[in-house]
Amino acid sequence: MKPGKVLFQSFNCEQTNRDVEEELRFHLVLLTEEHYRQDLDRDAARLAALKQFGDVDQIRNQCVEISMRNSPATRAMKSLLALTFVIGILVRVMGTEYHVTRMGTLLITLGLLGRLFLYVRGLNSSRFFSKPDASSQLILSERGQVVAGFDQSGRTPLERLFSEE
Amino acid sequence: MAKARTDLMQGTLELLILKTLASHPMHGYGIAQRIHEAVDDLLKIEDGSLYPALYRMEERGWITSEWGSSENNRRAKFYKLTKAGRKQLAGERANWERVSRAVARILQTA
Repeated sequence: MKPGKVLFQSFNCEQTNRDVEEELRFHLVLLTEEHYRQDLDRDAARLAALKQFGDVDQIRNQCVEISMRNSPATRAMKSLLALTFVIGILVRVMGTEYHVTRMGTLLITLGLLGRLFLYVRGLNSSRFFSKPDASSQLILSERGQVVAGFDQSGRTPLERLFSEE
Repeated sequence: MAKARTDLMQGTLELLILKTLASHPMHGYGIAQRIHEAVDDLLKIEDGSLYPALYRMEERGWITSEWGSSENNRRAKFYKLTKAGRKQLAGERANWERVSRAVARILQTA
């Protein structure tokens, strides 16, 4: 893959979301097939798979968040901001004229504000880069039945995850 | 106290994943199957908990991932141990053996 494409994709939260969902779906489908082979009917096998897997939405969000944090674009941005900060300090220390030291201060501020932005984005990446659907939270009863959690199309996350298979 | 317990479990899961990937690259489902087979019913691990751990390990450079084709021709993401991961596995393993020896020694004397 070309470096430019990698950089573009790393800014693309939708792509990251899709990749994570595809990976989790792959796991859930195989897990369902495994339960299905153990004489469970299709629905019971799906529920057993979901129960064994854990909270799908929470896991997906965690994976997307880590993935975005680890993206080449984020890392490149961090390096650039660090460089801006260091150059700013050097200019501030070595500059003798007023407008030069002011430029140094500006670079330091830019570096710090950028890092602050990345820090906030890192903590709230889902808020900045995706639109988590609060109604799509999967809630399982103690017996493993889906008791809540429908998206706008009226499907549960379980149905959504299996619908593309 | 509860946090310390969580940390221990998190580290343990990472150790299990590193050890599982030491032989050859695997997808998440394969890793989960291998761990379930190995630990039997001694440890209860939710399959989904593997994924945040895998993503964190990739972030730390212990593993790399690549999309490929699974044994049943489905698109799957395969994880592979890096050189840093092998080093981490050796360190974690030595640490685990040291801690378990120490705990066993205390339990025997108590």
